[in-house]
Amino acid sequence: MASTSLSFRPLSCWTSLLRKSPSPLQKTIVSSRALTTYYKPKPIDAPFVPKKKIKAFPPPSSFRAHCKEPIQAVVTSQIALLDPTGDRTTLFSKANPEAAHVGDILLVRLKNGDPFAGVCINIRRRGVDSGILLRNELTRVGVEMWFKIYSPNVEGIEVVQRREKRARRARLTYMRKPKHDMGSVQNIVLAYQRSRGALRGAAAGGAVGHENKGGKRKVKAKGKR
Amino acid sequence: MAPKLPPSCATLPSTFLLPSSFLPITAKRGIKYGWTTANPRSKHGRFNQQTAGLPQLSQSPAAALERKAKTLPLRTGVLAIKKGMSALYDPETGIRTPCTIVQLDRVQVVAHKTREQHGYFAVQMGAGWKHQSNVTRALLGHFTGQGVSPKRFVTEFRVKDESGLAKIGSLIGPEWFSEGQFVDTRSNCRGMGFEGGMKRHGFKGQGASHGNSLAHRLMGSSGPSQGGGSRVHPGKRMPGNMGGQQVTVQAVKVLKVDAENGILVLNGCIAGPKGCVVKIADSIKKPWPNVPGIVGEVPRMKTAPTLKKAVAA
Repeated sequence: MASTSLSFRPLSCWTSLLRKSPSPLQKTIVSSRALTTYYKPKPIDAPFVPKKKIKAFPPPSSFRAHCKEPIQAVVTSQIALLDPTGDRTTLFSKANPEAAHVGDILLVRLKNGDPFAGVCINIRRRGVDSGILLRNELTRVGVEMWFKIYSPNVEGIEVVQRREKRARRARLTYMRKPKHDMGSVQNIVLAYQRSRGALRGAAAGGAVGHENKGGKRKVKAKGKR
Repeated sequence: MAPKLPPSCATLPSTFLLPSSFLPITAKRGIKYGWTTANPRSKHGRFNQQTAGLPQLSQSPAAALERKAKTLPLRTGVLAIKKGMSALYDPETGIRTPCTIVQLDRVQVVAHKTREQHGYFAVQMGAGWKHQSNVTRALLGHFTGQGVSPKRFVTEFRVKDESGLAKIGSLIGPEWFSEGQFVDTRSNCRGMGFEGGMKRHGFKGQGASHGNSLAHRLMGSSGPSQGGGSRVHPGKRMPGNMGGQQVTVQAVKVLKVDAENGILVLNGCIAGPKGCVVKIADSIKKPWPNVPGIVGEVPRMKTAPTLKKAVAA
């Protein structure tokens, strides 16, 4: 077939030739790379020129150095605001030998609402955010309530009864078990309140002394009913 | 058999015998991909004229800045260190508010980014301090050139225009923000490491029993089988690295400002562990605060008292 096509178009071999051959109009440009940089070896005995030292500016004064514990700063200012007398702090202070401990029966009087009493089974110490967990039984149902000791809603906290022996746990969660559950502390609290009332009546506005029963304390001497 | 051309035909005759104008003109195909015989599009802009009632093309840097104009803050933010959490009580109502405490430490304006030079307006802020032996020479030159001590943390805060560029070297304290205003915080959240699908994406996991063996927390199937393509779709949620990425918390209220100790008390929680760096800026979802610091001049900031004593002594 090729031979026939060649015979039909005898000049067909020209086209490829003409196409491939560089046209005399087009100049062939041989691109040459301009050597802008070139390697220049360092002279062997070049003098050592040390780099100019950059001076650093001294740092400004630091808040961090001035106030090392910002959380403590905020917490102390809050406690000073919420507990000006320091009663709330001392009641749960570890330095206070008469402080309330876990296992004690505490009575929390609230600004709005009924007072709540119960066994303290947990003291969570977090500065101004500290709280206590009280457990009681109301209508034969176990009830636990958290109270923040610095909350303005908490008017006062009283120790109704102390535990005979110091608890050997920090959190008395085992008291939720039926075996260890104290049940209702209502009777103890009522007896305490009666004795307080009687004492108040006897003292008739006299100085409230230390009570007979193992260190009952009043946190706030606010008017009791 | 066709007649063969003599080999002498293969070479072109000399130029004077065959001038270039005699040669056949081959089509010049200048278009890179494909070619067309149609006329070149001379009036391609006639559909996109401003008078055509069509929206103007917004693909330029200027248009990008204009789009951002509403959400870019008027003034710079600050860098702070998260110190921890606590709570505040309102003495009247007794309402407890959980709060995060952050501290500002030697927050200074380090450099500016301008529209002419960099294409946008921003303030480069630095916080903390680094010994100069721990700073690279290039970075030290940057700090020294601006007259600022080497900073441990450096970041940029974009601002709307040049009126938000606070003076270089000016010290910014917590009173940059006012009590009650809202801010946005950005910080890297706690890194959890490589976590499974249950923790990372909240997958259900599998049953505890009914013959399940060693597969209680597995993610299960990762996709349909034949018919569904027999492949895992892109973006399939799987176990992997969790946390450690930047998290923004928007519209956080500033509860307290303690200029003496450089403390800011923010409402609620913000991302990150204690000691992490937090970028705090005016909230973009609330009206901009009306503070004099917006216009270039930084109000006289309280410096930490230690320096005052040192200077006085």
